[in-house]
Amino acid sequence: MTGLIEKLRQQIVSTQVWRSIFRHGYPDTDLNRALVMFSNVILHLHPVRVKRGALKIRYTWCLGGLTFFMFIILTITGVFLMFYYVPDTRRAYNDIKDLQYVVYFGNLMRDMHRWAAHAMVFLVWLHMTRVFLTGAYKPPREFNWIVGVMLLVLTLILSWTGYLLPWDQLALWAITVGSKMAEATPVIGVSGPFGLQMGMRPDNDIRFMLLGGTVVGQSALLRFYVLHCVGLPLLAGVFMAVHFWRIRKDGFSGPL
Amino acid sequence: MADQTHAPVSPRDPKKTYGLAELVRGKAPSSARPPEETVFSWPDLVYVEFLAMLFATVVLIVLPLLSGAPLEESASADTTPNPMKAPWYFLGLQELLVFFDPWLAGVVLPGLIIVGLMVVPYIDINPKGIGQYNYTERKFAVWTFCFGLALWYIFIVVGVYLRGLDWQWYWPWDNWSLHKEASSVSLIDLEVIMAQKFGMAQTTANLLTYLITGAFYAIGFTIPFLFFRKFYEALGFVRYNLMMFFFMTMMLVPFKVMIRLVFNIKYMLITPFFKI
Amino acid sequence: MSATPVGPDHDAQQRLKAQEMSRRRFFALVGWGGFLASMGGAAFGSFRFMFPEVLYEPPTVFKIGKPTDYGMGVTDTLKKERQIWVVRNEKGLYVLVAICRHLGCTPNWFQDQQRFRCPCHGSIYDIAGNVRGGPAPRTLWRAAVSLDPVDGQVVVNFIQRQDPDPKSTAEGLTVAEEGREVAPFFVKT
Repeated sequence: MTGLIEKLRQQIVSTQVWRSIFRHGYPDTDLNRALVMFSNVILHLHPVRVKRGALKIRYTWCLGGLTFFMFIILTITGVFLMFYYVPDTRRAYNDIKDLQYVVYFGNLMRDMHRWAAHAMVFLVWLHMTRVFLTGAYKPPREFNWIVGVMLLVLTLILSWTGYLLPWDQLALWAITVGSKMAEATPVIGVSGPFGLQMGMRPDNDIRFMLLGGTVVGQSALLRFYVLHCVGLPLLAGVFMAVHFWRIRKDGFSGPL
Repeated sequence: MADQTHAPVSPRDPKKTYGLAELVRGKAPSSARPPEETVFSWPDLVYVEFLAMLFATVVLIVLPLLSGAPLEESASADTTPNPMKAPWYFLGLQELLVFFDPWLAGVVLPGLIIVGLMVVPYIDINPKGIGQYNYTERKFAVWTFCFGLALWYIFIVVGVYLRGLDWQWYWPWDNWSLHKEASSVSLIDLEVIMAQKFGMAQTTANLLTYLITGAFYAIGFTIPFLFFRKFYEALGFVRYNLMMFFFMTMMLVPFKVMIRLVFNIKYMLITPFFKI
Repeated sequence: MSATPVGPDHDAQQRLKAQEMSRRRFFALVGWGGFLASMGGAAFGSFRFMFPEVLYEPPTVFKIGKPTDYGMGVTDTLKKERQIWVVRNEKGLYVLVAICRHLGCTPNWFQDQQRFRCPCHGSIYDIAGNVRGGPAPRTLWRAAVSLDPVDGQVVVNFIQRQDPDPKSTAEGLTVAEEGREVAPFFVKT
């Protein structure tokens, strides 16, 4: 029986289709362990060999990797949520209710999305703290620290834009207060210093541009939805690509 | 195109074979150490990552079982929930709004935090402590960062756990459904206090508040310059001033909070354009 | 040009030649100029695109009934629908906009304390809109009011607002009441 299975495996592995997809055997030899990193686009984020110190959990605590994993979880659960959610002020709240009480596993998807979002924000902070305490931002890694700060900002904005989408009281007022802060921006906000002198009005300042109106309403919901689901994740993806690329180029900072 | 009369740049020895080698500028991080100090990413690193992801997934499935995502009443523009709280990660900023005007707490201070973080690698020129948890050789950097971090987290904890109805201070054992009597002490501007206490004209007091704010920064900038000359010289003029600006602005936050809590001062500086 | 140039004419030509732009440089300038101009245009276009021209928002001028409908003190009933409080004192009516001057939350009216209090950051206002506590930087807005000549109803213009510079006193940020009770922000009845 095992002989038959082994023969079948050999048959499959030697087909043209199989060999067109997998270019090497199982990575249990040094050559294949190197090849798997060269030929797999996801694994290619790693170098072929890493320093022993990179494996020390008590150095990195896996924080950066877990943050990226949260982003992936958020993308997957977020796509599922998008199937049932319409960014319309008359529908949004009810859609969330449906997700919570009607759609199979809708509740789980929403809860996971929420928790992963919280976790991502917190993990970014922890990751940043770890990088600071281990001096991993020092030359030649200065630029990657800047990219990291950009990713921190993007994470916060992503989370904040998602906050509006359920269109409940929590959402509306958190965004109202947040956007009032935008209104207080110096020079380009109506109630900020020098705002009035620059000719800012409630219907032409930075908050108006952000919300697409003078109140948090339909256009604000739509804008936040588009930014949350498309604009910001794409931008974050670009920054993440640079972030990981720089780690590969500058090397791992940790001890041997 | 090739000019055959040119002599080859590097003449070939017919007795040898040649291969193509790639030259890369800089030092490859892993080439500095012998290969015995490294391990293959597969399986060692990939397995650690896999386990971490597995662990995170389990946590993310268990957490929703313990507590789901909240959903309140449908949005309505005419009733503000009391207290109205921003997402927890912004509650530190919301707490700052009690002490500063919105343009400062909501725009300028967060902006300075972000820019300040970005310039960290350029003003911290201490080459020690790369790739290790090292406190003894970079005390100032670690203390400064942890101080800022502590401020951030303290404000968040206060915002999340200690602010109740009307954004008043509630202890966990207080009755959170009862409105607190508004404090009888009202907040006064620093210049008004000075004008009353020392009997000077309001305009003089106003000028003095400019001086006080200026002095806050001036003293902060001067002390390290005078007493830690090495520190100043190591950083150089530009780095030193950049660093001190961010440092003193960070210190301004607890300073303002303190004078608000102790002396009930609303604004410490009033200019025709903005108030701090 | 074919004759060998000599004399001052030749020098002038040489000088002109030196000032002349080379073909390569001209095309580089045109190319970069065009590129930057089109990038600038695209940036401006996308910036302008984000400012909507039509707003689907509630009306800003509306009627709230006869002045006699409102008794002494603060009437809290219109807050939900119109985001305003109607206040009557001995001399007449004015309308306070129910938007906290701190960050735009809707304050609540406490009849027993005679104070408006904001749930967001604890700003406190008195019945005239003066700041009595909390972080609010200015006094509450008063909206423009007038009497409709036909049916005698009070017309509120929600956008036209009175916002005088407050004075900082020991009681808080205040504005003298005499200056505020003028048309179009006050209806004498």
